[in-house]
Amino acid sequence: MAEEQKQNTAVANGDQGKTDEEQAKELLSSHVVRAVGLTKVYEMGGEKVHALRGVDLTVDRGEYVSIMGPSGSGKSTLFNMIGGLDKPDTGEVFIDEVDIASLDTFELAWLRCHKIGYIFQTFNLIPVASALENVMMPMLFAGMSQADAQDKAADILRKVGLEKRLLNKPNELSGGQQQRVACARALANDPAIILADEPTGNLDLKTGEEIIRILGELKSEFGVTVISATHDHKMLAASDRVIVLTDGQITKIKKRSELKIQEGTIEGGQDLFD
Amino acid sequence: MATQRQNHTSLVDRSGQVRRQRQLTGKQVLLMAWKNITVRMGRSMLVTSGIVLALAFLTYIMSSDAILRSVLENAPPSVKETLSESGKFAVLEDADAQIQTRWMVGLALLVSFVGILNAMLLSVTERYAEIGTMKCLGALDSLIVRLFLLESFFQGIAGTTVGILIGLLLAFTESLFGFGWTVAEGVPLMGLVPWNGIFSIIGIAMLAGVALTVAGALYPGWRAAKMKPVEAMRAQV
Ligand SMILES: Nc1ncnc2c1ncn2[C@@H]1O[C@H](COP(=O)(O)OP(=O)(O)OP(=O)(O)O)[C@@H](O)[C@H]1O
Ligand SMILES: [Mg+2]
Repeated sequence: MAEEQKQNTAVANGDQGKTDEEQAKELLSSHVVRAVGLTKVYEMGGEKVHALRGVDLTVDRGEYVSIMGPSGSGKSTLFNMIGGLDKPDTGEVFIDEVDIASLDTFELAWLRCHKIGYIFQTFNLIPVASALENVMMPMLFAGMSQADAQDKAADILRKVGLEKRLLNKPNELSGGQQQRVACARALANDPAIILADEPTGNLDLKTGEEIIRILGELKSEFGVTVISATHDHKMLAASDRVIVLTDGQITKIKKRSELKIQEGTIEGGQDLFD
Repeated sequence: MATQRQNHTSLVDRSGQVRRQRQLTGKQVLLMAWKNITVRMGRSMLVTSGIVLALAFLTYIMSSDAILRSVLENAPPSVKETLSESGKFAVLEDADAQIQTRWMVGLALLVSFVGILNAMLLSVTERYAEIGTMKCLGALDSLIVRLFLLESFFQGIAGTTVGILIGLLLAFTESLFGFGWTVAEGVPLMGLVPWNGIFSIIGIAMLAGVALTVAGALYPGWRAAKMKPVEAMRAQV
């Protein structure tokens, strides 16, 4: 009975091409990411650093969430936990309501390859490979043929405005261009979630805003969920929600309506820290 | 919006199973490995030249000794005498020099061993960050190990082949200078060359070169593949 009902709702929503179970999963929860009680302690020469002290976080499908906080507040640590790149000491991370601690290496690799697109503060492009080859890499890991991957990668690079730099190596590109390659690479396998750890940290204001604009477009055009860390209040323009992390704890959550937005950037974002 | 969201595959498939990354086929990995080698040609040449040097040294020492020994054993007695008088076999007749040759072969082996392992270790560890990035992008641990296995295998074959050729060339040139094309009236040098021995030296050198190269890449590659992605990305060399 319940099955039938879900099926009906699915049809009513005009959501075709998805199976009942997938549909059911989605209907059960609109949360694409759910983190519960995350803690992480690093030990450095006998000294304990509490990077996360119990962080709870839920992110809805298609939401753009900015995680803000001063340097050392635990943004990267949280980012790594959510992305399945590192394990929390305690607490759980659910993606599509699956506890990622329960995934084996094959399942985890699928998650990293298809479900999540990562953008790193330091770009992390492969230095010897061209822009095109860098973007192709996750597609090849997913089993796509060289020819198909090449076409698709060129397509994505065109979208981020790099159609003239396909064959350039990272060191032949500016910082902003490198980060755009990284954005393109994050999009390689049409991820549902983009995790961006200070994507603008190494860029000047103007190039940074360009990257934020691209992320905002992904959200609005493709319904991608974006989780982005930053310590710069000028980079909050596209956010639906801003979460302030201080010393490993969430100290403030602000909805878009509560933010003063002017000319595409957020003025007076500094008071977030008050 | 709803239509576009359909692109996003759920973590769970239609039967309720969590989706799994598939192993790539041998051909796909081969292509990737080949690309990796060609794309870092300059760098691989540097590492490969280390292998070439080590193998050239090893092959030269072993085959030069084998040729000299064979000429001494197989030359007609009369020829042997004249050669002996001219001091050509001093190395083989003098007990001290004999021991010295043994040491040289041992040393050559050691140089190859340490040189190749070191070169491969360096070339893999400087790629730790890259390995970490690859893992973040969905590469299976086994894919990383397979890539390193293939890359080092190609590199080992190429470096070892060139090294052996150079070593043989040196050994033959040396004997030619020592004895000339004809060792004595009617006794050509090439007739005294221990071809079977030379072939087994080639075989041994090939095996040692490739095995050392692969072993030198595989161990650090395997360790890096097992690391957590964040750790590998952090790793500084
Ligand atoms: N691998 C590690 N070993 C030891 N301590 C660590 C490690 N990673 C992070 N830390 C510590 O954990 C705390 C949080 O670090 P994290 O990198 O998450 O901060 P962040 O908010 O991303 O800072 P930034 O804005 O500078 O990138 C810091 O005090 C840091 O020193
Ligand atoms: Mg950080």
